[in-house]
Amino acid sequence: MTTGTKGATRWRWLAMLLAFAMVAAACTNADDEGGDTTAPSDDGTTATTSGGGGGDTTEPPSDGDTTEPPSDGEIKNPDLLVHAADDEPLSLDPAGVEPGEGGETVILQVYERLLEIGIEGPDLVPGLATEVPSVDNGLISEDGLTYTFPIREGVTFHDGTDLTAEDVKYSWDRVMTMSLPESAADVLNDIVAETRVVDDYTFEVDLQVASAAFLNTAVVAMVSSIVSQDAVEANGGIIEGEFNEFMQGDMVGTGAYALTAWNRGENIQMEVFDGYWGTPANLDVRIDIGSTPDIRVLGLRAGDYDTIEADPSFIDDIRGAEGVTIFGEGLTVEPIHVGFNLNIPEGVLPDGDTIPTDFFHDARVRQAFNHAFDYEAFVNGALGGFGDYNPHYIPQGIFGYDPDAPVYDAADPDRAVELLTEAGYCPDGFTVSVITEEANLFAVAALVLKDSMERLPCNITIDVLAVAEAQFDDAHAQDPIEYAMWVKNADPFADPHSYMSSYQHPDGEWGEVHGFANGYSDPELIGELIDAAEVELDRTERAAIYSELQNLLYEDPMWLIAGQEGVVAAYRDWVQGWTANPLWPRPSLKFALMDK
Amino acid sequence: MVLPLLIVGVSIIVFALTRIGGSPIGIYLSHEMNAEEVAELEERFHLNDPVPVQYYYWASGVLTGDLGWSGVAAAPVTDVFPNKLAATMELAVASAIVAVALGVGLGTFAGARRDRAPDHITRVVAISGAAMPLFWFAILMLIVFWVGLGWFPIGRSDPEIFASIAHPTGLYTVDAILAGSWTAFRDAFWHLVLPAVTLGYGATAIIARMMRSSLVEELQEDYVDAARAKGLAERLVLRRHARRNALIPTVTVIGLSFGFLLQGTVVAEIIFRWPGLGRWMADSVLRGDQATIMAYVLFTSVLFLFVNLVVDVIYAYLDRRVVLGS
Repeated sequence: MTTGTKGATRWRWLAMLLAFAMVAAACTNADDEGGDTTAPSDDGTTATTSGGGGGDTTEPPSDGDTTEPPSDGEIKNPDLLVHAADDEPLSLDPAGVEPGEGGETVILQVYERLLEIGIEGPDLVPGLATEVPSVDNGLISEDGLTYTFPIREGVTFHDGTDLTAEDVKYSWDRVMTMSLPESAADVLNDIVAETRVVDDYTFEVDLQVASAAFLNTAVVAMVSSIVSQDAVEANGGIIEGEFNEFMQGDMVGTGAYALTAWNRGENIQMEVFDGYWGTPANLDVRIDIGSTPDIRVLGLRAGDYDTIEADPSFIDDIRGAEGVTIFGEGLTVEPIHVGFNLNIPEGVLPDGDTIPTDFFHDARVRQAFNHAFDYEAFVNGALGGFGDYNPHYIPQGIFGYDPDAPVYDAADPDRAVELLTEAGYCPDGFTVSVITEEANLFAVAALVLKDSMERLPCNITIDVLAVAEAQFDDAHAQDPIEYAMWVKNADPFADPHSYMSSYQHPDGEWGEVHGFANGYSDPELIGELIDAAEVELDRTERAAIYSELQNLLYEDPMWLIAGQEGVVAAYRDWVQGWTANPLWPRPSLKFALMDK
Repeated sequence: MVLPLLIVGVSIIVFALTRIGGSPIGIYLSHEMNAEEVAELEERFHLNDPVPVQYYYWASGVLTGDLGWSGVAAAPVTDVFPNKLAATMELAVASAIVAVALGVGLGTFAGARRDRAPDHITRVVAISGAAMPLFWFAILMLIVFWVGLGWFPIGRSDPEIFASIAHPTGLYTVDAILAGSWTAFRDAFWHLVLPAVTLGYGATAIIARMMRSSLVEELQEDYVDAARAKGLAERLVLRRHARRNALIPTVTVIGLSFGFLLQGTVVAEIIFRWPGLGRWMADSVLRGDQATIMAYVLFTSVLFLFVNLVVDVIYAYLDRRVVLGS
């Protein structure tokens, strides 16, 4: 009995001690958070929603979301901006980062380029160069082949070394020498003939051909970011065709932020760079990596995240949340499209596909798909109204977009049936597959295509093959592609030439693989116009060429453009200075502009 | 002799599987790449060489401690693996503690009150843990305790506190104790609570059921009657005699449950942003990071072989009729 009593007493004391420890820890935790409290937000608590396509609406304040822990005016982590991102970067090296990949987000904050895309719109502003070159200011030669960049003095890298023109030349030459296939090295390799240092603060570039797209395409691209020569040389230097292990995960730039830590699978931390030459950033930043969409939304509601990566599918979960602002203005410049394959080899299509290999050679078939698609269902359904069904091959917001050019913006099933009947595919019908990534907007676009085509009285079957991202990328990178159709989005570019040359030129990167020459009624004309627009330095003339191209491509479509997705984001009301520019890498934010 | 051969066999199978299931360079592909760029990548990773040569490159790397480059983590696999493994083991062990404490406790409570209301209620509570999908229960826990009450955070640590101590073991709680940092220990413990309870609760049901049924059986044994007959208090009969014996079969189930917990860490790590092996592996599978997948499968396969070897040795120790090597 005595032993049992002693044992019981011991356990009771232990339980009490444990309970005390937990309560103490909880109290201390609460104190920590409470201690961070500062002044109330200026923004109030109204959640504002702006609908896509231009129509802004204001939602009433939340009427009773009781799951919001921070009381009005309480700011969590007042000295730190926490952003919840989707993917973990694959590389933080400008010479190794894939366009559109998570690493570009960090590169935008830590590195700088000679020129930058300004806060508002597509206009270029000086970055590490002090002037934007033009023929008028004499920094572009009369023949358009030589560009001179006066380099900003007094700029220091995060390692304390000074920026000179040598660093600029080194950075660009490094990208072109390494020439990693996963990177965007081509934007320099395809246009730059020679780089040279004129003096410590003057850098010159000779182009292979005159190009009106050079500044917007190459100079502002993340791949053209300026790195510290000393840092790279001290850590492996440059090896042709091989990535630099140090630079994959370490950064020595000149930007408003310096990288302090990258905890794989957890977060990326950046601190304000005190030696920054420009307007300093306000808050240190932590990018939390890899949250699922649900967790990002919960974290925003909890106040632990200040900004989150979002897409239209999030909005219903956030709408009405107290202290949260939903941003929905403007459009991304990555049109979601269905691509047509005009270069299908015999016997490669998936089992069940019954179309002939020259199916899409007939413009009437391509037009029929464009007429049949239910644009309204996609934009108002999948995109939740945050987007526009009035896009073209040059997206809205990019120079050269012609608002008067005809577009396929409304379903016309009768016209689709007419065209398919003329082409001999209705009423006998056909079966064709479309491949896409699973569980995202592309898959939804493919399903809308399926519904749109199968409702026609033509005995049509569309098989949607939704596969993992890696599997899709593998399939899409084949030459020739073994599928008749695919759904994806275009990469974002700041210049129309990139869209036209990459995606529509019959001899371009995709035109050749997809066999566009087999379908265009006049492929030479299309090619000549795209080439002419590239070298035309007169903006009016250049815009006229792109307008002509957009008219031609309406009659001879190589894609079905499902929609232009709206810029959608959500952030806490206490975040000030939140600004998005769709021409900046996703999530289109510069953290240095924000404060709390 | 057999073990090394098995390891070589496993490595060949692992390598062959990764060559069948999608492109070995899937992680590096993007939908904007053309065939020429893909060909350059294939050359970099020796994919144009015969498969035996590719195996040679990989196997010689493994033997020299080079498991390749993890595209998902953007770092060498060998650099990342120990930390991820430690994070997963920490979560699994904490979950096991929750599962055992809850399972044994609830099972004992219910078994001692057989067929009465507390028994039924306890069984419902225990079984509900197994009945609820982990991903759903996890989200529910976050809505209540993270968003609603703000009691517990998400993730594994406060980055600043985590960075303030050394991490010789990779186990945050252990490292905090070794560093003598109460702040770090509290941070580790507080981050561990939600995922461990969520995951552990799911494994509670089977332990509680086994404990209850074993206890019910034990309480019907003659030695229990004898203990009661000599005047021992019911509480002591239960603790000193019946529960101790009822624990024997329960311990076997606890061992099996640890496997369940390790599986469950994949979902728990994804939802709770826990930087462990499970989440890393899920990302790697979805993004086609073959180097990471190969390292993980090789590790688990070799671990399995070693565990079986250890079990065989223990058998021989426990049962002298088993003679190893004969």
